[in-house]
Parts: sequence; structure tokens; C-alpha cells
Amino acid sequence: MSGQARRLSSGGLIDRSRTLSFRFDGKPMTGHPGDTLASALIANGTVLAGRSFKYHRPRGILTAGSEEPNALVELRTGARREANTKATTIELYDGLEAHSQNRWPSLDFDLMSVNSLASPIFVAGFYYKTFMWPAAFWERLYEPLIRRAAGLGKASKEPDPDTYEKAFAFCDVLVIGAGPAGLMAALTASRAGARVILCDEDFRFGGRLLSETLSIGGQSGADWAAAAAAELVQNPAVTLMRRTTVFGGYDQGTYGALERVGDHLPVPLPHTPRQRLWKIVAKRAVLAAGAVERQIVFGGNDRPGVMMASALRSYVNRFAAAPARRLAVFTNNDDGWKTVADCLRTDVRVEAVIDPRPAVPDAFRRLAAQAGARLFEGGQVCDAHGTARGLQSVDVLTAAGSTVPVSVDGLAMSGGWNPAVALTCHLGGRPVWRDDISAFVAGAAPPGLTVAGAAAGGFDLRSCLADGLRLGAEAAEATGFKAAGSTVPEASDETLNLMPLWKVAGSRTKAFVDFQNDVTAKDIALAEREGFRSVEHLKRYTTLGMATDQGKTANVNGLAIMASLTGKSIPETGTTTFRPPYTPVAIGAFAGHHREKHFRSTRLTPSHAWAAEQGAVFVESGQWLRAQWFPKPGETDWLTSVSREVKAVREGVGVCDVSTLGKIDIQGPDAGLLLDRVYINTFSALAVGKVRYGAMLREDGIVMDDGTTARLADDHYLMSTTTANAGKVMQHLEFCHQVLWPELDVQMVSVTEQWAQFSVAGPRARDTLAKLVDPPADISNAALPYMGVIDTAVCGGVPGRLFRISFSGELAYELAVPARYGDGVMRAIVAAGAEYGIVAYGTEALGVMRIEKGHPAGNELNGTATARDLGFGKLMSQKKDYIGRVMAERPGLTDPDRPALAGFKPVKRADRLRAGAHFLGLGAEATARNDEGYMTSVAFSPSLSHWIGLGLIKGGPARYGEHVRAYDPVRGGDIEVEICSPVFVDPEGVRLRV
Amino acid sequence: MSSPLPRFAFTGHLSAVGSLPAGTGIAVTPCNDLALATVIARKGQAALLAERIRALFGITLPTGPKRVAAGGVAFIGMGPGQWLATGQADGDPQVFAAKLKQDLIGLASVSDQSDARAVLRLSGAAARQVLAKGLPIDLHPRVFGPGDAALSQIALIGAHVWQIDERPTYEIAVFRSLAGSFADWLIASAAEFRIATMP
Repeated sequence: MSGQARRLSSGGLIDRSRTLSFRFDGKPMTGHPGDTLASALIANGTVLAGRSFKYHRPRGILTAGSEEPNALVELRTGARREANTKATTIELYDGLEAHSQNRWPSLDFDLMSVNSLASPIFVAGFYYKTFMWPAAFWERLYEPLIRRAAGLGKASKEPDPDTYEKAFAFCDVLVIGAGPAGLMAALTASRAGARVILCDEDFRFGGRLLSETLSIGGQSGADWAAAAAAELVQNPAVTLMRRTTVFGGYDQGTYGALERVGDHLPVPLPHTPRQRLWKIVAKRAVLAAGAVERQIVFGGNDRPGVMMASALRSYVNRFAAAPARRLAVFTNNDDGWKTVADCLRTDVRVEAVIDPRPAVPDAFRRLAAQAGARLFEGGQVCDAHGTARGLQSVDVLTAAGSTVPVSVDGLAMSGGWNPAVALTCHLGGRPVWRDDISAFVAGAAPPGLTVAGAAAGGFDLRSCLADGLRLGAEAAEATGFKAAGSTVPEASDETLNLMPLWKVAGSRTKAFVDFQNDVTAKDIALAEREGFRSVEHLKRYTTLGMATDQGKTANVNGLAIMASLTGKSIPETGTTTFRPPYTPVAIGAFAGHHREKHFRSTRLTPSHAWAAEQGAVFVESGQWLRAQWFPKPGETDWLTSVSREVKAVREGVGVCDVSTLGKIDIQGPDAGLLLDRVYINTFSALAVGKVRYGAMLREDGIVMDDGTTARLADDHYLMSTTTANAGKVMQHLEFCHQVLWPELDVQMVSVTEQWAQFSVAGPRARDTLAKLVDPPADISNAALPYMGVIDTAVCGGVPGRLFRISFSGELAYELAVPARYGDGVMRAIVAAGAEYGIVAYGTEALGVMRIEKGHPAGNELNGTATARDLGFGKLMSQKKDYIGRVMAERPGLTDPDRPALAGFKPVKRADRLRAGAHFLGLGAEATARNDEGYMTSVAFSPSLSHWIGLGLIKGGPARYGEHVRAYDPVRGGDIEVEICSPVFVDPEGVRLRV
Repeated sequence: MSSPLPRFAFTGHLSAVGSLPAGTGIAVTPCNDLALATVIARKGQAALLAERIRALFGITLPTGPKRVAAGGVAFIGMGPGQWLATGQADGDPQVFAAKLKQDLIGLASVSDQSDARAVLRLSGAAARQVLAKGLPIDLHPRVFGPGDAALSQIALIGAHVWQIDERPTYEIAVFRSLAGSFADWLIASAAEFRIATMP
């Protein structure tokens, strides 16, 4: 075929000076800038665009917009392949490659179309009826079977090479849709001075003005739209967003919009995303999203060559492409007649006009005569006949009852218009029926949203312009601007005069309602017979409206058919719920920047760069990335590295970055009082320069968090929290102060990030630090005993604070310096400790040592353990009130049989312990009834050379010496363990006080 | 021994900027020499505190999300009775908080935050467009101008933003540990504009 055989010789909003090459199913074709893929396919004479979902019926292009159910293609190739892309919305670019989908081996010859012969099987409810028994087949057989058969296009399965981003926009007035109503609203609101955002899904502003031969103020509609856009672009308070679909309406005037930044290019421009997801916050919004033309259900209405009348006008007028040579027009309203008039100016010959209305105005009769078309007043198209190559004829059922075949290669149909009300329903609004236009219009719109033009059921151009002017002015005034009085420009007159016709009675062939999901009129009748009469049941039973197009051209016909079957009115039958998004949005757009390692933000410790240089293995600890262990050359398994680190600390000295622990600066005369009320033990009596361990409870008596708090001055404490609970404890303290005890004179703020903090632990810790502290600091045991704190400069002038605290059980300190010095001070510590064989140790060794010392941590503070359970019973002050005190005395929480902290060692020392193993009596059956608790933490103890564990077991400390089973069905473990003290190393605590 | 050099929060995190088109759409500058301190009024001392601040700095303490600056010092409202004070560190940031603490004894609790936040200065014609990709705050000049401040978040990272001038220039403080993630977002978001960094 020669290039663009169906391109009209003149007209259209395309740039004929440039030719774009593209391929469809490998076949080279050409088009022009301004084309969509659909219009270019039509210009190239392509009739067949895809195969249908269930029956693999040949399908053509039905519409010219985002409501398209048929012409779905796989766009691009390789990793950029995108399935189910609507050819009607793809802007043509040079080098575009698209493939049809859901066919094998080829679009023209699809073997799967034998499904069509088996169509009696694939009726509504087919899956429910077929794949029922036996239940064992559901997952193994039926689901894989259904999944293979389902779906249209194929995903690339490769990582998307493009980027997506999210953005926020704000305005006084958001105008959704840039047709006549939207442009008029945007012009009016912007002239008043309001900040306006105008969005349209198309790449050119104008809406249907681009597709119709209408005039406004003496200009063509397209010229008027161009002039309006030119005015708007000059106004700095106006943001014009082309290629942007407002897909959802949310609370408080928030709208979701998808901007296709790079979809019209072979690949996005450098450093720009493919798509951008906008959250638009608008004080007011005007919905001018237009209306979607609906079909008429008759036999063969899905045949390639059958097209919406408005779409046909789009292709002829806007794109100068002729979908047919010999056309029939089937319309139940005046609007469809515009097709006849528009074709007069082209070489598309109108063979027949079929209008089910008993009599049409004389003007239309003259028009039909002028076109040389046969006019069938009171007639209906009952069947369309054709093949994958196109339409051959339509059978017209005349008013007299006879059937007349008309030979055509195209049919334009118009069953009326459905206003695009979706955005008025996303917050729960229900559309209401209007008999005069036989359509649903917006009911109560969400606050701040008004509906203009065709979206409001005012289909004629004059109403659109008047609505736009009025609502644009109203929105501007509502946001504090004064709209100057303007008048609606002169515009073409349009009429509708629709006579509802949902389905043609007497069709002999398959009549489709939902083209994309292959739902026929018979399926709806079957659903009705089987009792699925509610529209919500109808939808799910037949899948009507459940495809990617959400039934934009189908739903109202479907429920109208159901209404007639049940004898109810359409409003009584109702509609299904409209939910966002209005058109599909890629998951990538919702993710934006937050994919792969950017899925969430990462917190790095002050010594991170140093640790990375050392080859540390890192572990995610909440948002933090912490060094887990530091493998040495030759070490291949983590246990070797970790055991080496532990031994080095216990025998020499080690250093660990503990900056991630929460730090809360608490000041004010009542600081001690606040701490007394949140901790179970007393802090108001703590001496300045001392540190105390504390535990705090939730209101219900369960342990919330623990840590040390230092007193730096009479009115100044520094609290530390666990890494995991840093935010929660801060929140808790703020709540206590702001809500429970606002009378307290206390001020607090998180200083977690201010300080880099290093644990320096082991017998040589003091020797190491002595080399680092600046004179005159004295860190001898006498001057800085266990649980003391001093402020001292270190490393020649770096301000620091030295705590004598120990988590490892060794002589240990924590040195805090301003975070910017963390990197340097870590290096200085390692240099100072070199002569003592210092090691850097990670969270794993830290964990091993705390298990060896029986310190409860996150695994034990599990949200069910009480202070007594964890061995802190003695800390619970009897002399003061504190949060959780009363509830901690509930009988259930003081039951001596509660699981309480104990240590565990394998009876056969070589056995490996597993965290999560449950404790059972030695002879007891492995049932939940016999469960005595579980192993919370385990470690291989380099100090004892066997595995040790901590756990919560019934009776806890009272049972030291007893043997139980540690039963681990998940990993097949069942070993005998001895219950023991949780303190495995230095039970007297001698080492940490030396 | 020689005292260790400071390692600033954005060190190593803005290197990718060098591979982007250079120009003047947006300039990115780490504010390494900014001293920061939180100042929280003691109970019942708000009026005396305001008086003291006025006397010390000639600054009227803002009561909302505003930044008031004079002579190199600024106070930024961040909650009822709470401010973030900023000043010149001159290489010794803790001095600012320590002096403030002395000056405000009995009137406010002061905590040094110079190292707790990483502050980046964004300036230039594209600054608003870049920030719109993460900051859910309306920065239009009709709504947000020099002297305005907001505690919000950018790309899931808590961010304290204040506007310095009408170029526009903004300063953004994030938690220090998140400087790398913040820089990743910034570079991805600013890449389409011509960008410049200053050390």
C-alpha cells in the first residue's frame, strides 16, 4: 500500500511539512506531527487494531480518546515495552514501534479466535461455574490456567529504565479539561487575577473544538482555542499542563494528576522523567472534562469499521484521516448528524443515515439528500457484517419492519453522551439521572468543585461557554478575586433531541456491550436470569466495566439493558461506583523517586564513611544503616568475624559506633520530676555527673523502652533510648508534658543527631581513651567510676562527653563528640588503640556480648513483657507514682507463672540454639497447650565456646537447672536445653567496675 | 596530637552534581558554617525571653512559622515557645549555643543542634520548581516569601525550610544522618535544570 492512502488531501491540525516514520506489527508506515498512533493507522488504511480479550474477535479503533476499549497496543520494545497502551492517546513520534496484542500467531490470522466458536462456554460467570471443584485444583491448576489466558498485553519483565517523579502544585482555581468550557473558565478566572492551573489529557488544548467544525466569535473553534491558550500562556499566574490527566479527586480540594512528560518521545529527554505524578491542591476546581459518546448495542457492533460518530469526526476534521470511504451513520440524536455535514466536505461518501427517531427535521432530510444518502427514519441498524479486513455491510431494520442491507465500509454510531462525572464521585458522590438528555450527571459535587459544560450535561457549545464563564468567575470570586463582567462570545448553535436507544431488538449476531471485556447483551440477560441483578453484582458476574477502560463507553448501556430486563427505571437501577484513577496510572508514577535503594530514606552514622572504607558489612536497623561486622581478609563467614570481634573486646579493646541510640535533652526545674513519672525508678535523686539505668512502662504496665539517663546539671538531664524507640519515646515524653502535666516547667528536644557516640569497651578501654582526652581530664577509676559522666575535650580541642557505662560487661566508656567530628574521632580511637590490638565491632558482636551479659533488648522488650518478667522488679519504685504502675499490678501481670527472662544452654554443648524455638516439658507433646514460652535471642558465645540463649519461660528464674525442650518445628529443631541465669559472663560484674 | 578535621554532613553526597549540566538555574551550597541551637522558653518566661532576645540581638521573636534575622543571627519559629536560632559558627559552632545558654539562663533551655542538622542553601530561578518535587508546601510568592518558614517533609525526609530572599533563596535543614538521602533526591530532582554547586 502506498503511504497514507486514507489521508485527506487537505485540512486537519497536522504538520504536513514533516513526515514521521513508525512501525505497527513491524510494518513501516508514516504519519505527521499532530497525529496520534490511531489517526496515523487510519491514515495508513489500517482497520484492524487488535483482538478482543475472550473471543479474540478482530477489533478496530472505536474512539478518538482515552475511553478507547479496543485499540490497545504494546508500545515500544525491550525494557520500555508498555502493554495495553491506547493507540488513541499515543502521540506519534518518529521511530515509534507498536505491536498489536492478544493474538497468535498474527493479528490478521489469530488461531485463538476459535474461542469465538466456543463462545457458548465463555458466558457470564464462566469462571465461577467452571473452576469450582475440586478445591485442591484452585491454586495448582485453575489459577495458573486462568492467569495464562487472562490479560491482553505482555509486560516487559525488565526493570523500567526510565524515571518517574512526584510533584506538588497549588492554585486558586484548578480547571480540569481544556475544551470550550474549561478554556472559558480558565480565561475568566485568570483575567480576575486568580492563580489558575489548567490541565488537559490531550497534547493540544481545545477539546472537541479541535474535532468539530464549530465557530466562536467568528473564528473556527480550533483558532479560538489556540488564541485562548496563547492568552493564558502569557499570564504568569497560570500554569498550563498539557498531556496531564486529573485522575482522582481527594479530600480538601486535593487532586491527583498524571503528567506524561516524555511519553510522546522515543525516550525522555536527559534528566527528565517519563511521567510526573502531581498532587494539586486547589482552593476551587472547575470540572470541564466533557462527555464520552456512547454506543448502541446491536449485532456486530464491535466489527472493525464501526466507530463512534464523534470519533469519526475527530479523524476527519482534526487528523484529516478517513476511516471509511462509504459510510453509514446510525444516530439517535441531532449531534450524530454533524457527521453527515462534515463528510460532505471530504471524499467520504455517506451512503445512509439511520435514525431511530420516527421523523427528523427537514434540515436533516435536506442534508441527507445533499449527501446523496439514503435516510431511514425510524430505522435501526440490527446487524453489521464484516471481517478482520473491515466492514462489508449493515442490515437496516426499517420503520416498516423490513430488513435492508446497505453496503458500506464504515459505520458511525451515536447513542448519546455520558458526561464525565467520575471526579464528582470519588469522594462518595452519586450521579443523578436526567431524563431530558438520558444521561447521568453529577449529583452533589464535593466542596469546592463545580461542573461545567458537557460534563454537567450542557452539551451544546453555547452552554459550555456560558458555564465556563460563570463558573470560572464564581471560582475566582470564591478565592478572593473580582471577576470583570464579560460576555459569552457568539458561538455555533447545537441541538441534541435524543431519543434513547440502548439496544437494538432483533439483532441476529453477537451484540457487544463491553468491548474490552467481551461482555454481550446476552451475558447481561443471563446474569439477570441467574439473579445477579444489582449493578454491582452485574459488574462482577459479567466483568462489565472491569477492564482497563472501566467501561466508559459501555456501562450506561449495560445498566439500561438490565433496567429493561428487570422492569425498573435506569435511575432505580443505578450505577456502579466510580473510583480513582479515571484512567490507568503506572505504579512507577506512584513510586516516583522512591524505588530500589531510594524506596525509603537511609540514615547514615557519623562513622559510616570510615566503616565503609574498612569493608564493613552493613545491616538495616530501622532507617539506619549500621556496621554489622568488619570482616578481615580471609574471613569468609560472619561467625568467624563476630567471634573474633567479641574475643578482642573481652581480652583487649574494641570500638563500636552507637550514635543511633536516641538522645533526648531534658532541661528545666521539673526535669527530674518528669523522669520520675515516666521511669519506674527514681531520677530526681540522681547526683550530677552520674548516670542511671532506667526502664519505662506503657500505660498498660508493659515495658516500653529502657536506657541510661545522665544528670548533667541540676536542671539538665540527657536521656538515651533504644535505636528503635527513639522517636516513640520522644513522642511519649511530649505527650506526657503537653497533655498530662502541662504544669511542669520542663523543656525537651531530641539531640540524637547532634552527637557521634562511640562505645570503647574492653580491659584496655581506659588505656586507649587516656591517650585521647585532653588535659586536665582524669579518667581513672577513682575520678570517673562506673556510671559516671564528665565533659572533656578530646583529641586536642574537640568538645566531648565521656560516659562510663557498659553494655558489653567490660570496662567500657561511651565517648560523645559533635557529629562532624565523628569520622575523625573514630579514626583517632582506632589509632590510639592500635597498640592494644583494638578492633572495630559491629552490631552483631554488640548483640553477642549483651546476650552473654543477659541484657534484655528489642527481642525481649517485645510488647508483652513486664518489668518483672525482664528481671527489673526491684527497680519498680514503691515510693512514687509513675506511668504504668497501677496497671502493672494487675493479677495477670503479677502471676508468678508468667514467662520470665532466663538463660538457656544446650545440654549437648555442640547443639545450635535457634531464636523462636518454643519451650516444652521434656516428655510433653508438641502442642500449643504445652507451650511454656520461647527463645528470644541466641548467640554463639566465644567466651563459653557454645551457643547460649535468652528466653521468656514460665516461672523463669525459679527454674534454673531444669531441663526443657527447645522445639523449633520451622527449622526442624528439637533439642534439650538447661535453664540458667541469663548472665553468662562475669555474673558478679567485676570487670565493668575495674 | 593534631585535632581531627570535621567531616561535614554533605561531604561526598553532592559529588554527582558535577555530572549535571552546569549553569545558574539553581545553586546548591552546603551551609557548613551555620551554628544552630534550639531555644525553648521556660514556663511563664516567654515575655522576658522576648525582651532579652530583643535586647541582645535586636530581634523580635516570631510567634509563628517565621524567620527574623539581624546581624548574622536569626530566630525561626518552630512551635509554640520554640525556636531554632542560627548564627555564624566561625569554625567553632558550639560557642553559639553555649553563649546563648548563658545569656538566656532561667528564661529558656538551649540545646546545641549545629551538628544535628545538615543545612543546604538552594538559590536561583529553578529553586521553586525543584522544591515542588518534594515539598508539599505552596512556595508561590503570593503565599511564601522571605521570612517565611515551614516544618514539613521532602521525599519522606523531615525538613525545616525557610526563605532568605526573593531570588528566591531557601535554606533547608534536614537531620544530619539523612543528608545522603536528601542529596540523592535533590540531585534527581534538580538534574533537569542547570545546576551549580559551591563548596
